[in-house]
Amino acid sequence: MKMNTKEILSLDSLKIGYVSGKNENVLLPPLTASANNGELIAVIGRNGIGKSTLLRTLTGLQQPLGGEIFYNGKNIRDYSRMELAQRVGYISTEIVKVSNMRVYDLVALGRFPYTNWIGKIEMNDNEVILDALKKTSMEPFIRKFVSELSDGERQKSMIARILAQDTSIMIMDEPTAFLDIAGKYEIFHLMHMLSNQSDKTIIFSTHDLQMAISQSDKIWLILDNRLIEGAPEDLMIAGAFDNLFDSATVLFNSEDGTFSFRSDTKGSIYIEGEGNRRHWTEKAVNRAGFTVSKGKTIPYVIIPSGNNNCWQLSCQSYVRDCSSLYELISCLNREVIRPI
Amino acid sequence: MKTDILKDLPVDFKSVRNTRLIFSCLLLVVAIFLILDVFLGSVNIKASEVIRAIFNNTNSNFETIILKFRLPKAITALTVGVALSLSGLQMQTVFRNPMAGPYVLGISSGASLGVAFVILGFSSSIAPDSLKGLGNWILVAASWIGAGAVMLLIMIISSKVKDIMTILILGIMLASGISAIVTIMQYFSNETMLKAYVIWTMGSLGNLTSSQLNVLLISVSAGVILSLFSSKMLNALLLGENYASSIGLNVRFARVVIFICTSILAGSVTAFCGPIGFIGIAVPHIVRILFKTSDHKVLIPGTILMGGSVMLISDIISQLPGSESVLPVNAVTSLIGIPVVIWVILRNRKYSGPF
Repeated sequence: MKMNTKEILSLDSLKIGYVSGKNENVLLPPLTASANNGELIAVIGRNGIGKSTLLRTLTGLQQPLGGEIFYNGKNIRDYSRMELAQRVGYISTEIVKVSNMRVYDLVALGRFPYTNWIGKIEMNDNEVILDALKKTSMEPFIRKFVSELSDGERQKSMIARILAQDTSIMIMDEPTAFLDIAGKYEIFHLMHMLSNQSDKTIIFSTHDLQMAISQSDKIWLILDNRLIEGAPEDLMIAGAFDNLFDSATVLFNSEDGTFSFRSDTKGSIYIEGEGNRRHWTEKAVNRAGFTVSKGKTIPYVIIPSGNNNCWQLSCQSYVRDCSSLYELISCLNREVIRPI
Repeated sequence: MKTDILKDLPVDFKSVRNTRLIFSCLLLVVAIFLILDVFLGSVNIKASEVIRAIFNNTNSNFETIILKFRLPKAITALTVGVALSLSGLQMQTVFRNPMAGPYVLGISSGASLGVAFVILGFSSSIAPDSLKGLGNWILVAASWIGAGAVMLLIMIISSKVKDIMTILILGIMLASGISAIVTIMQYFSNETMLKAYVIWTMGSLGNLTSSQLNVLLISVSAGVILSLFSSKMLNALLLGENYASSIGLNVRFARVVIFICTSILAGSVTAFCGPIGFIGIAVPHIVRILFKTSDHKVLIPGTILMGGSVMLISDIISQLPGSESVLPVNAVTSLIGIPVVIWVILRNRKYSGPF
């Protein structure tokens, strides 16, 4: 249901940072980037590089120290606070803890830019609120207190709040930071759905590179000297992520966007067999510090097939039967570590 | 006014009916306490006599007691309760601090510093006894300025220090510092000034002249109207400064409005009735428990009614009906308020949220 693409946000040599006293503390070199409607954009960068500051500046909570931000071609400086609130919604990492506030009331606060002087919720406001609750599947929690929600439910009601705010752009600072895996997937799924079906432009920061690469339409990769933007796959091909973590212990795998610990290999092992068991056996062997060799070498492992549940490890002088991968790894560590 | 506010509640909630019921009960309670406060007092007056004194011109001693003393005092109590509770509610939301209130954060002390400047500083020209007309406005304005200055100071501290208890302790320090300044001023002032000031600090609802009551009523009404206008801003501020700003609130403007409102409410009361403690901090919590909501469209009218009733009952208790002696009203409000404050502190340790 994506409509015609048009540029909805552009940054032109934007300088972000803080002013303390007379000193301007500019965090990054000038940033230039853009976003279209309906795009899910992940902002990636190491801790403390200025992702939050960028998102706060985009929301108008902080003044740019230089350069321009354009929403729909109009400079952010020319929007009033109220007008901007009708175009840009924001979720920070700050956890909202207000006792006696019901989910409905929280979501209703999203109607702030549209209600009258006392904040009266009219029938149409009510409809928007209920619709936002429905889209985030928070309807069953409508009467619950925000303080009683789990982290994931709270985050979903915060998202419902910006849906009620009816903005074309949603800015979220680490929306999945406090969540467990299931919660993470649920929020990513929701964000994906909102950008796809509701034509929302979502700009979010995350440390979950794998999720960002597989889900987002575009990545703004913030490095120390510049911002690189592009489809995740483009950045992968360009090897842009390689310099992201110049750590000696973490290895970025540019084939599937995963990380692994860089460790000295203890040797190589040939694995015979196919299917799901092969996949996990490879994982286990890698974890133990071995690489998987392509041609048949010694030692080798024969993966059990069918009802047989026995991994057979063959070394030069002996053969071991292992009933589980756990046992196989123990064997490898104990016996194979020296000879090769 | 009440039904208008109820209409503003979200349409789909069953709790609207509940809220309406609680409002009706509270209104009834205020009315009952108001009547009781007029009927009960140190002098035993039969109910029939009271009614006759109000409605007929009897010119008896009873009429003097009822119309010149008890009725103004009851109205003062109602006004004071409304003003202090409302300022407490606003402060708790703005500071996002359940312990905020005009008394504990030193706002009342600030107001008393303003009053001390007037009474101890200039009273050679405008002695407190001769404070009439313009003099009352000078007194109340000095009180507003004092309250506002402390509010500003606390606000600056709050932007640097996030911990609620630290701010609370700093508030107590501030109050102690101010009382030290006042003590120095007392030391250098003459006997009549000193006496006037000491009597003022004892806090009283019954010593207001009719012109003072007028000034109090006008200022508090202004504060109440301003607070009704601030309810939308207060709701936004519940989420904190960043979120409030992101949904379209001009945070600086909102703060200024709410500061002015709070300073007027707490300052006016302190100017005429002395520092009265723990009403401002306790009443908003009672109202939140009662209505189970964080919506200021409900909390503000709720606090107005509850604040009025609590202050009226404090006044009734302080008169020790039937006996000759009268307790200082300050002591009664503390005894009512402190248990609530302790309960809030204990509950907060458990949930560790701003409210």
